[in-house]
Amino acid sequence: MTYPLLSGLRVLEIGSMISAPYCGKLLADAGASVVKVEPPGAGEEARRYGPWPDDVPHPERSGLYLYLNSNKAGITANLETPTGRSIMRRLAAKSDAVVHNVPPADMERLGLDYDALSAEHPGLVMASISPWGLSGPWRDYKAYDINLAAAGGICEGLGEADREPLTFGTPEVGYFAGMAAASSIVMALLGRDTHGGQHIDIAEAETMAGLYNGPEALMAVYEWRVTRRTGHHALDFPYPNCILRCKDGHIFVGSPEGRQWRRLLEIMGNPEWSQEQRFRNRTAMNNLYADEVDGYVEAWLADYTKAELLEIALENRIPLAPVRTYEEVRSDPSLEDLFVVIERDDTGPVAYPGAPYRLPEAEASAPKPAPTLGQHNRAVLCDELGYTGADLVKLYQIGII
Amino acid sequence: MTTTENDMRTNPGVLSGYRVLDFGWVLAGALPGMVLADMGAEVIKVETRQRLDYMRMGRPIVGDQPDPEQNPMFHNVNRGKLSVTLNIAEPEAVELAKGLASRCDVVIENFSPGVMDRLGLGYEALRGVKPDIIMASISSTGQEGPLRDLRAYAPSIGSLSGLDSTMGYEGGGPLGLKHAFGDICGALHAVFAISSALFHRNRTGQGQYIDVSMLRATVVTQGVGLMEQALTGRSLQPRGNHDPTMAPYGNYPCAGEDKWVSIAVKSEEEWESLVRAMASPAWAADDRFTSQFRRQRHRRELDALLSRWTAQKDAEAVTELLQSHGVAAAPVLGAEERLFHPHFMERGLYSDTEHPALGAEPVFNLMWNLSKSPSRVRRHAPLLGEHNREVLCGHLGLSEERLAELEERRVVY
Repeated sequence: MTYPLLSGLRVLEIGSMISAPYCGKLLADAGASVVKVEPPGAGEEARRYGPWPDDVPHPERSGLYLYLNSNKAGITANLETPTGRSIMRRLAAKSDAVVHNVPPADMERLGLDYDALSAEHPGLVMASISPWGLSGPWRDYKAYDINLAAAGGICEGLGEADREPLTFGTPEVGYFAGMAAASSIVMALLGRDTHGGQHIDIAEAETMAGLYNGPEALMAVYEWRVTRRTGHHALDFPYPNCILRCKDGHIFVGSPEGRQWRRLLEIMGNPEWSQEQRFRNRTAMNNLYADEVDGYVEAWLADYTKAELLEIALENRIPLAPVRTYEEVRSDPSLEDLFVVIERDDTGPVAYPGAPYRLPEAEASAPKPAPTLGQHNRAVLCDELGYTGADLVKLYQIGII
Repeated sequence: MTTTENDMRTNPGVLSGYRVLDFGWVLAGALPGMVLADMGAEVIKVETRQRLDYMRMGRPIVGDQPDPEQNPMFHNVNRGKLSVTLNIAEPEAVELAKGLASRCDVVIENFSPGVMDRLGLGYEALRGVKPDIIMASISSTGQEGPLRDLRAYAPSIGSLSGLDSTMGYEGGGPLGLKHAFGDICGALHAVFAISSALFHRNRTGQGQYIDVSMLRATVVTQGVGLMEQALTGRSLQPRGNHDPTMAPYGNYPCAGEDKWVSIAVKSEEEWESLVRAMASPAWAADDRFTSQFRRQRHRRELDALLSRWTAQKDAEAVTELLQSHGVAAAPVLGAEERLFHPHFMERGLYSDTEHPALGAEPVFNLMWNLSKSPSRVRRHAPLLGEHNREVLCGHLGLSEERLAELEERRVVY
């Protein structure tokens, strides 16, 4: 759903893949008018990432693109040309905020960096999302999702001890950078009367190494506990705290509170093994005998489906949680109003996740589909910047839009 | 003048002037207030000795036994806040809390759904004392719906959201993500909704109730997996270190005990740069690796050969060599390595701070670097009830005698 919290706010996004586009999406779903700029011809990279309906690739049907860019207007501009850059500068001058994840060095080369844009528009709020930030020895280093996860502390503890460390199954880091940028932009606008415009420096690696994993690093300071890859178990928690097999898949089984574990054992019929002396201390049980106990618990779980175990969890107030497939996530009735159907001519109706917060007091409206490449060139360039229809034709012919 | 006032005057944050009443606890509930405090808001944490914030007594334990004033995790996620102890099981304490809410812009809470209503501190009650109040409730699975009363912790959210379903080695089972991904996602989306609601209130005078669930906040970050399912009908399975557009893409072994470097190559240009950086080994010219298409197809053989090249080298050295050739690489950093990494240190990822009970301690920084009003740690995490007098006498006008009497009767407790 779309809410009118930021209506009237104008945002220019020069974004590709996830980080800056997710920032733009958060702002657009909260009611801001977001104009997204893409290179003419191929558009931004997410158009080539997929997935596609029936596995037939097409730049207008890439799922990642369609999801992250709904509710935005889309234009094209070739930033390698003086006219393309001039269009950008003029649009920035009419915007409250700009967000981009173009490498900072390229923005400088193009004359589209904060110093250049704010000279003409001192009240501008601009968020620059980059892998490592605008300063420091790694400022010009490259990174893709796995590099940021590796340096940010995601990989060190994920996987088996004798195999390579793992990262997220799909790209995730960009969402955290997008969230940081979107909140920073709104906060900067809240304080614009006293502080004026600002340049916001968001480093993707630091969204992982800082807020996400910062507290974890401190565990190392105080306990010198080394995070180890211990498969589906984690050291130093009371057993159970792991994903186990059940009849039709996998389920997370936890019981941080003693009464939860006692209740779970009751449901299992207080099996003999659970009375053994060596299982008195659940942390020791986890650290020393987890594999053995997994076998006992899985023997019981094997008779139950994920859905049945979820019922048992709800009835008995114990933390069991099915490892759901994406299909199961989509069919969860409790998430029914999270998914919003958007129809585009070239894809038909598709359900996309909407804003993850609910505002029962606000007026919600249906989201608009993601733009086709250059769909709003006329609306933005003619109606707002004063180009004529003939100009538009010429700009297209010479490869600027 | 208190330290807080002093700090705010010398470096007012961008949210300076906004006041937040923060019932949030543990992690997901405490983080939004921490973020708002780092950005300059006055955040009043409401807590009680009757039922301590778990994080005050959790790990890591410094000293021989848990001490509510000595928990570094608590200090990290509650720095910058003021603390008022109100035993809100007592009706008088509820009235005090409402009095504070009437002087605040925002209220945050993450009790089990329904608890605030039962206490008489629900949105309707608070709107009664402050018509344009913005209230954010953070929960595991939402304030309504069939999963509302599920006992769910951070790993539960990883499982329910689909996040865990792709985390694991190819062909193996899901391993589970051992981080509080859902707590952090929920907290950050709450911060965004709160900021946007303030923006809206400033323009329209309308308040807002915000219902953020960790589950929904995590589901929306599953763009690739959800869209794959919607458009192709397939649900992704664990697939190791894999990206459909890149090869090589993975963590490769390096010299030393359990050292690894991540390397990711997308374009032909990046591949050529990688080959040059490796001094053009013969295998790189093999037919199997001459195009991106072929490298994808033979990525396991490619991983094995690349691992042989990285295996005797230092992870930082590989990173510098590859980056100097324009190839994305970074070491798999452990906790201490992140604390002392030259790049993060120069950027100020951690600060050394002084806590009255624990002494010198490092805290991580938010790193929302606004050029004129960056996020910063503004004061140490509060001692239990450290600001009872400042807040209850200052904001609510209670007399010293009245405060002493309320403390005596464990209303302020």
